[in-house]
Amino acid sequence: MVDLLSVLVSGVLVGTVYAYMAYGLGLIYGVLRVVNLAHGAFLTLGVYVTWWLHNALGMDPLVSLLVTVPLGFLLGAGVERSLVFRLRDSPPVTTLLLLFGVWLIVRNLLYLIFGGADRSLLTSYSLESVSLGAVTLSIPRLVVSGFSLLGFVVLAFVLKRTWAGLSLRAVAQDREAAALSGIPVDRVWATAFGIGSALAMSAGTLMSLFYTVTPEFGARFLLKSFCVVVLGGLTNIGGILIAGIGLGVAEDLTAFYVHTGYRDVVSFLVLVAALVMRRVESEG
Amino acid sequence: MSDSSHRLRWTLAAVVGLALAAPLLMANPYAARLAQLLFLNVVLASAWNLVGGFAGQISFGNASLFGVGAYATSMLWLAGMPPLLTLPAAALAAAAYGVLWGWPCLRLRGPYFAIATIGVAEATRVVANNIEAAGGASGLTLPLEQDQGPIVLYVLGAVLALAAVLTSDFVRRSKLGLGLVALREDARAAAASGVDVAMEQVKAFALAAALTGLGGSYYALFTLYVVPEKVFGFDLSISLVLMVLVGGLGTVAGPVLGAAIYLVLEQFVLARFADIHLAAFGALLIVIVLLEPRGLAPRLGQAFAAVRGRLRPAPGRSAR
Repeated sequence: MVDLLSVLVSGVLVGTVYAYMAYGLGLIYGVLRVVNLAHGAFLTLGVYVTWWLHNALGMDPLVSLLVTVPLGFLLGAGVERSLVFRLRDSPPVTTLLLLFGVWLIVRNLLYLIFGGADRSLLTSYSLESVSLGAVTLSIPRLVVSGFSLLGFVVLAFVLKRTWAGLSLRAVAQDREAAALSGIPVDRVWATAFGIGSALAMSAGTLMSLFYTVTPEFGARFLLKSFCVVVLGGLTNIGGILIAGIGLGVAEDLTAFYVHTGYRDVVSFLVLVAALVMRRVESEG
Repeated sequence: MSDSSHRLRWTLAAVVGLALAAPLLMANPYAARLAQLLFLNVVLASAWNLVGGFAGQISFGNASLFGVGAYATSMLWLAGMPPLLTLPAAALAAAAYGVLWGWPCLRLRGPYFAIATIGVAEATRVVANNIEAAGGASGLTLPLEQDQGPIVLYVLGAVLALAAVLTSDFVRRSKLGLGLVALREDARAAAASGVDVAMEQVKAFALAAALTGLGGSYYALFTLYVVPEKVFGFDLSISLVLMVLVGGLGTVAGPVLGAAIYLVLEQFVLARFADIHLAAFGALLIVIVLLEPRGLAPRLGQAFAAVRGRLRPAPGRSAR
């Protein structure tokens, strides 16, 4: 019983991070109708930048959010302006392939700079934990989960209460109508891609607290992000949060009761099942 | 000159060419391996193109079919079956697996299908890594003393490659192929004109899966070693997408051309710059998508027709 409770709690904590990690993917799709296959590249880059800042400059991972958020925004907006923008009228699959190319290049650069070895980051609080009754909670997981929720609150505020957020939602709803009412669609696209990438990179920063990283890191979490986004509804914050937590719990239950090796199979199968059942926009 | 005699001439030319090239391609083990890899690439790229090119459904998951073929041959071989007799079994197993996941997934279109295929392929890879009966993560080693030898492998590879190209040509001209192209261009209009969209795709996918499984089987026969990270690997799926994209989506010649270009790139250029090979493929992908999304085959066809036109002033047939 205590075991089950621990598994559930840990699943919920990981799940909030999953939700935060996935949100950028949904946002970019919602606004640009582009599937960002480079999402995993930004996640991985975030982990490595954080790791480097910690090892070279002794910067606390949570402080390095101040670096990864703006850096992610600039890189994302840059990729949109220089590459994605050129394909705005092509079929979606071509953009998918283009961004896959970006991912391959980033992966290769990471191999060249950091090598293929596992990297992990150890802070003074990495191994700390608190006990709540019979359940032990790891401090980094709690902190990361808290930051993810905070990120959601900030994001919800930006989307609902600022002009930038309003224009983003307008473009997501109807690109032409938005353009007609004077919204600079081009700039909104770059902004959306920038925000999506900043979210991915900062998610990488948070994840650096309890995952080891190699240049291949992004692939698994790209698929998990897809899974969360498809289950939760593309830009629906509440839905994505629930889907992330659901996936986190399902994975931890599988790892605990079935086999650790099958942890990732859960998300892949849930992804396929969710796609097929929802058939998002696939009619026609 | 009728269409079918035209095709017959091309087929004969290919057979004669392959026969003439045989001594050269078996001169040393390296040349023989190159020929085997070329045949393999042609089979896999042509198979991928049946659904990815004609129907426009980009699959990032064909490694799952390749792996099933490779494992079917390996396991039956180790169970005592004569290696060459395992080929049909591998084709059947891969086709069955293809229908199993293609049937639900092909209802999705465009990026959704692409993402679903990544999910299926990765799930398959993880499961294959965990099945102890199939060697788990360390894979299966096949008996070296039962190696088929270069001649059998050359002939088998040539036959498979030719069969794949002929299948691809046959599908392009068939009602099935017309249906696929129609649904690529406009799925709703195709359905309205009486194309059974779901069924046509599943048929083509089963065919593609069988060919891909044969490719996996052939791979097991000439490498004598199968391991999940390789035969179910994401890199394999990607290489197929690249080959067809470079050569020309939705054409018969494109996958063949792309398979050859990919082999040259991989062997001669990237063997020397191994540490930037991912970036090189990434850059290639970006350049092709931005500058020549239709691939090199149409461009080459135009050049060919132009040269022909100059040699023979009379208005010639378009070179196909």
